[in-house]
Amino acid sequence: MCAEVEETLKRIQTHKGVIGTIVVNAEGIPIRTTLDNSTTVQYAGLLHQLTMKARSTVRDIDPQNDLTFLRIRSKKHEIMVAPDKEYMLIVIQNPSE
Amino acid sequence: MRVCVQILRQFCFNSATKRIVEIPDLQWEKSQLNRNVACRFFFIWFPDLTELKLPVSDPNPSLCVCVLLTLQWDTDPSVLQLQSDSELGRKMQRLGATKITQVDFLPREVVLYCKETQTPITGTEEEDDEEIIDLEPALESDQQEEVDNKETREGYPGRELTEEEKQQILKSEEFLSFFDCSIRVMERALAEQSDIFFDYSGRDLEDKDGELQGGSSLSLSRLFYDEHWSKHRVITCLDWSPQYPELLVASYNNNEDAPHEPDGVALVWNMKFKKNTPEYVFHCQSPVVAVGFARFHPNLVVGGTYSGQIVLWDNRSHRRTPVQRTPLSAAAHTHPVYCVNVVGTQNANNLITVSTDGRMCSWTQPISTPWDFMELVYNKSKPVAVTGMAFPTGDVNNYVVGSEEGTVYTASRHGSKAGICEMFEGHQGPVTGLSCHNAVGPVDFSHLFVTSSFDWTVKLWSTKHNKPLYSFEDNADYIYDVMWSPVHPALFAAVDGMGRLDLWNLNSDTEVPTASVTVEGASALNRVRWASGGKEVAVGDSEGRLWIYDAGELAVPHSEDWARFARTLMEIKANRGDAEEEGLVELTP
Repeated sequence: MCAEVEETLKRIQTHKGVIGTIVVNAEGIPIRTTLDNSTTVQYAGLLHQLTMKARSTVRDIDPQNDLTFLRIRSKKHEIMVAPDKEYMLIVIQNPSE
Repeated sequence: MRVCVQILRQFCFNSATKRIVEIPDLQWEKSQLNRNVACRFFFIWFPDLTELKLPVSDPNPSLCVCVLLTLQWDTDPSVLQLQSDSELGRKMQRLGATKITQVDFLPREVVLYCKETQTPITGTEEEDDEEIIDLEPALESDQQEEVDNKETREGYPGRELTEEEKQQILKSEEFLSFFDCSIRVMERALAEQSDIFFDYSGRDLEDKDGELQGGSSLSLSRLFYDEHWSKHRVITCLDWSPQYPELLVASYNNNEDAPHEPDGVALVWNMKFKKNTPEYVFHCQSPVVAVGFARFHPNLVVGGTYSGQIVLWDNRSHRRTPVQRTPLSAAAHTHPVYCVNVVGTQNANNLITVSTDGRMCSWTQPISTPWDFMELVYNKSKPVAVTGMAFPTGDVNNYVVGSEEGTVYTASRHGSKAGICEMFEGHQGPVTGLSCHNAVGPVDFSHLFVTSSFDWTVKLWSTKHNKPLYSFEDNADYIYDVMWSPVHPALFAAVDGMGRLDLWNLNSDTEVPTASVTVEGASALNRVRWASGGKEVAVGDSEGRLWIYDAGELAVPHSEDWARFARTLMEIKANRGDAEEEGLVELTP
């Protein structure tokens, strides 16, 4: 089953424009990554905080609501975060490619 | 306030002897005691007390009385109560419900960083770099690494996860289910490449290809192919989902180049999103030769296999293997099952399966043993080797089967004539595909069906005549499948072994197809299926590729098409009548 995960991550990585893929656990510790160490650590930490903030924002507005997907579009990249209770999947893509 | 006085001991001062003497049992006379008894040591005020009288026997009036008393302050009961409330006791509280307030505590934001998260790929790259560097720069790089590590250690203090822990997490059940769901969403998001920032003012509009063309020809819309699961496998069957028109399931044969992979694969593809990977992957141990969405059970996919087993997959479970399987017993099928069909209504439906030894079984949920089975034999002698089965629209009892000998039979499930009824001869090779007319309109054509065969022809039949009404002979190879359009009364699609997909519109021409296209690579096309809306047609080929074509204007029926088709039919019958000397045998339905 673990090989399936690796294979799927590799497939995502080879998708058009994808720069990196990171899997993070609930505490913000990266579990799997395709980027180098320092970048991973930076992305994981910052995005973890941002996701927590986004989730708390959504829940403050309506306590029965919850965050399902987060997409940050910047001039150079698009960062997509699929959060969950326990883990988080982060994909960084360059959409203009 | 009332005071109760209890006299304990009595003393008196004898001024003669100048001594205090205890008086054993003094009888006090009430009248003698003053209201104000002033005492040397304390002053007692007895407002309500009646007078106490001193004994008369003592002549000396200067008598000092010392009395030891106990005082009992007998206070007002109400006053007592108050005092006891405030000081002494707790009284019984009455219990009641309090208002519940829910408080949500956010998880503590712990900022943790991990030191080493290198995957093996990037790790090996670093090693290569190190080998190339000379000794001196190597020393420098070592120093740099140390500095880096120090920096990371100082800047990001955090708990690391060891490799074993990570492996543990990756294998855990919850991670796998999280991954399954989120990867699906992520792939769809990745594939949607719409550029919301497109600026129309500053540049030329690039011509959009594909979507709007349609027109009056067949155009390729999508190609579904998976490197891992579709390669070197033949597509054996296709079915569109009745519930979600964008989903279709394709079943695949075994991959001879990969004996360790499962022999039978069924993939569910999604047309709505641009991602090119299957929605669901199902497999089983035996090659799947027939597949279909269970019509009244939206989560189930039924497969018929080469070994005769019927398998059921459920997309609610995360398993890729079947959730139900029929036993391999003589009571069920022991030959390949080429037809699976769910017939009936929402409340009363059965799964009908037919295998190549002529056995037809009816199943109910859960499939363990068939509740009814029947041997399809013609003239009570030879069993029919069924290669295809079709139910006319709205009929649950009568159906049509095609056989390996090239004959077509009608049969019924129940009734006095249960079993094979009539025989239709005409084809010179095994019948590969069979389709009953199912476009619903003002004129009823449900007695019509088309068949395709290895004899390079497609024939049009009516259940009322046991000879074909018309034979379409434009192809130069085995024709593998044919299907009527679900919306247009005069349109059907046929695919052959040269990679050709033909659309025949009988209202325009009966000699040549109205539209024809050859797939890239010209591999043999094994299956063709119209989508339920009649706008798209899916073809599966022998290389495992699934092509979706958009039929555009061709597939749109007009109101006069029904009347025109009725006239076309009459012409066909008339021509037929002229061509053949022997008359058509009118069959009783």
